[in-house]
Amino acid sequence: MEDPLHPFELHALIPLSLFGLDISLNKAVVMMFVAVALVIGLLVRAGSSRQLVPTRLQSLAEILVEFIRGIIRETMGQEGMRFFPLISSLFLFILFCNLLGLIPGSYTVTSQLVVTGVFAVGVYTLSVVVGFRLHGIRFLSILVPPGTPGWLIPLMIPIELISHLARPLSLSVRLFANMTAGHVILGVLFGLTIAGGLVIGWLPFAFTVALYALELGIAFIQAYIFTILTCVYIGDAIHLH
Amino acid sequence: MPQFDTHFFSSLIFWEVVSFGILFWVLYKFALPPIVEALETRERKIRDSIEQAEQNRATAEQRLREYEAKLLGAAREVEAIMVEAKTKAQRLLEDNEQRLRAESARIREETTQEIERERRKALQEIRHKTADLAILVAEKVLARSLTDDDHRRLAEEALEAVGENPSKSQP
Repeated sequence: MEDPLHPFELHALIPLSLFGLDISLNKAVVMMFVAVALVIGLLVRAGSSRQLVPTRLQSLAEILVEFIRGIIRETMGQEGMRFFPLISSLFLFILFCNLLGLIPGSYTVTSQLVVTGVFAVGVYTLSVVVGFRLHGIRFLSILVPPGTPGWLIPLMIPIELISHLARPLSLSVRLFANMTAGHVILGVLFGLTIAGGLVIGWLPFAFTVALYALELGIAFIQAYIFTILTCVYIGDAIHLH
Repeated sequence: MPQFDTHFFSSLIFWEVVSFGILFWVLYKFALPPIVEALETRERKIRDSIEQAEQNRATAEQRLREYEAKLLGAAREVEAIMVEAKTKAQRLLEDNEQRLRAESARIREETTQEIERERRKALQEIRHKTADLAILVAEKVLARSLTDDDHRRLAEEALEAVGENPSKSQP
């Protein structure tokens, strides 16, 4: 049976290097390009037909935009709207990477921990920067929840510090693990299908169909969770409790 | 796991940052503003339309109330006019009837009196005429064979006889 982790392997397609840094193009990078091209193509085309009664494509783009604006409004309030371009880029990038990964033979970019890690660390860094820029040194008060008795403060600060530092970690691992696990299970079931042949192979195959539908939902949900948590973290930095 | 193969980290990170940067820049500069603008324009338009419709409805309702009130007033007025006209007509009718009745009573009274007067006059006339006629007849019949006393006596007798017959109701 084939190794279910085999689809996650990368191979340099076009070797490139920049100042000694290896930036070879590989499958994951190509899929990133495809995702970015699709998002840009979709939104630029949708935006070019500014009609009061929207076309189908315009409706789709407007639903996406309205959905993202809804998330921002709920978690950050109106002042979070200036993060709207960033949040929507993040959401659409992750969503399209997740969905493209479901095409057989393609590559799930978000199943690379380093990719999700860059986003998570970037988002967390942004929230800290925003917090310090808006509130100065008072931003450190997020380490002490309101209503904490004085004698608990020495205990609370390390706990809160750990919980805050765990944010980028959980954010990146959640997305990476979800995307990886789904594909691994699919790979295992497909392996069983082939190994079982016609006699028993239909059973794991039926499971792959159901699981594929589930994976489609997970692709959306994980993009949504990543986005909403990003909003929550930045919103925390804006509002301080 | 192949994902922890550090060999590809540098290229993945590099291209992720580059492609995300391009995506962010294009969306921020070109793609999102027209979509957001279209959304906001539509939102504004819908809100305006709803407001306008609400206003129109309120105006229409007020108009309706006004017209209904007017209609009610008109109906009341009509009723009042009808009642007044009826009483007026009734009064007029009664007045006319009373006047006519009085008039007819007066006419009847006058006629009765006239008839009475005429009857009396006629009776009187008949009486005179009869007496004269009797005297004339008697004179012709008796000529000079009677004295004046006889004349008178006879005349009176004749008169009595004549007067008794045509006027039984006469006292």
